[in-house]
Amino acid sequence: MFANFSIDLFITAVTFGNLIPPGTTGIASYFLYIAPGSNLVTAMVAAFQSGRDVWREKYIKDLTSYLLSLPVPRLLLASSRIAGGVARSVIATFPGTIVICYLYGMLFDTRVLEAYLIVALFSLGIVGLSMSFAAFASSIEVFVTVRSLVQLYLSFLSTLFYKVEVVQEKAPFLVPIVSSNPMTWAVEAFRELKISGTGFAPISVLIAPSLFFALLGLGSYLWYSKL
Amino acid sequence: MSSSATLANASNSQALARPPNGGVFQIALRDIQTLFRTPWIIITRSLAFIIQLFVFATLISTLVHISSDPTFNFFQYYAIGSVVGTMASISFVIGYDIFEEAEEGVLDYLLTLPVSRRQFIIGRALGGAVRAMIYIIPMFVIVAVLENFTSPLNLIAAVLDLFLLSFGVTGLSITVAVSVRSANRFDVVLALLELAVSRASTALYPAIAMPFYVAILAPFSPVSLAAGSAREALTGGAINIASLAGLVAFVVIFLGLGAAFYFRKLEGGVYA
Repeated sequence: MFANFSIDLFITAVTFGNLIPPGTTGIASYFLYIAPGSNLVTAMVAAFQSGRDVWREKYIKDLTSYLLSLPVPRLLLASSRIAGGVARSVIATFPGTIVICYLYGMLFDTRVLEAYLIVALFSLGIVGLSMSFAAFASSIEVFVTVRSLVQLYLSFLSTLFYKVEVVQEKAPFLVPIVSSNPMTWAVEAFRELKISGTGFAPISVLIAPSLFFALLGLGSYLWYSKL
Repeated sequence: MSSSATLANASNSQALARPPNGGVFQIALRDIQTLFRTPWIIITRSLAFIIQLFVFATLISTLVHISSDPTFNFFQYYAIGSVVGTMASISFVIGYDIFEEAEEGVLDYLLTLPVSRRQFIIGRALGGAVRAMIYIIPMFVIVAVLENFTSPLNLIAAVLDLFLLSFGVTGLSITVAVSVRSANRFDVVLALLELAVSRASTALYPAIAMPFYVAILAPFSPVSLAAGSAREALTGGAINIASLAGLVAFVVIFLGLGAAFYFRKLEGGVYA
């Protein structure tokens, strides 16, 4: 995961940083502008792994019966799957978040905790979403297809690479899609951390959708297991 | 049973055991058919290409500016490069197929087919390359129409570059698939290789903008060679002999390595 992040950041982001001059559409440094995106893309990939695991347990490993025999309440089992997915995603992006915090000059600051909170909340939503897909996907092709489409939407139809003003100017019909994208909320929250004193306000926008997707994942997991 | 009937049966078995020319094509055809059995994957990848081209490249090209080359057309650069990058990415898929077949025991069945080992290996590589070509052609057509590339000779030269890249990457992918034993390690190695080969190349962005540690390596990437050669053929009308030679060398090396590793695996276990 860190290797993926490094390729994204130290090759792609640096190159685009050199291609886009400072000051373009009010962006002081394009490299710093897209840097948090590299980390959130890594978080997204790691979070989607939870759904893949659930799918494999269901269709390949046939582990459902074993999991149901565990001495834990079923709701707790489902919740812990989500919590585990979030923890894994935060661990996978741990060094990446440190690198971005260093680049943003807030490594020795309480904002580091806010950065991890953003990654965790974003991952929570994606873990929930991926578990929902895994519950309803009957074949690995369907799961992989849906995952790819969601990753495509999160990456290219968000403000990860460009400001919403650029989208407004060139493709105004995409603005509602870009503005309602969870990646847009997460990456914008991360960018706002650069400005100290913003508090938890930018992060709060992520709470409701992430909880919604997590509940969706929880419900789907319980439903598919016929719990 | 008469001796003549026995002889006739024996000669039939021999004919079945060694099909004269059809073995390679039968094996290749099988790999090509798997492409059409997974239409959702084709649709997703095509959609990914369209979004990358019509959303990402369109929007980002309004921001890109190179002071040393103010006329630089990033959209055109990215359009050709994304076809080449996608081609490399699709060609890696054969490795996943081969690894899965070995895991699921399908390989044992394939080895019972009346096809020689050499035909089998060449057929796999050819099938992987041809299916990647079939997959990429609609995208190539979109780019050709968008950028008004109409010269048949130039288009053929660019397609040749793509085919060589595809053949070489297929060999590389087979080499990795048969030399890594753990499923997780295989997934990681192939995904990283795919990412590194396409990102550390001049397919999607020019070397002039790359950080020095990538810029010194990028020109040697097979994806760079194919992208550079295809770009020159399509926009300048020239054939880049050096890039073509590099691509041919890449094909020979990795197809040879892939064949050697695969042959070794087929004949006696992974490391026997």
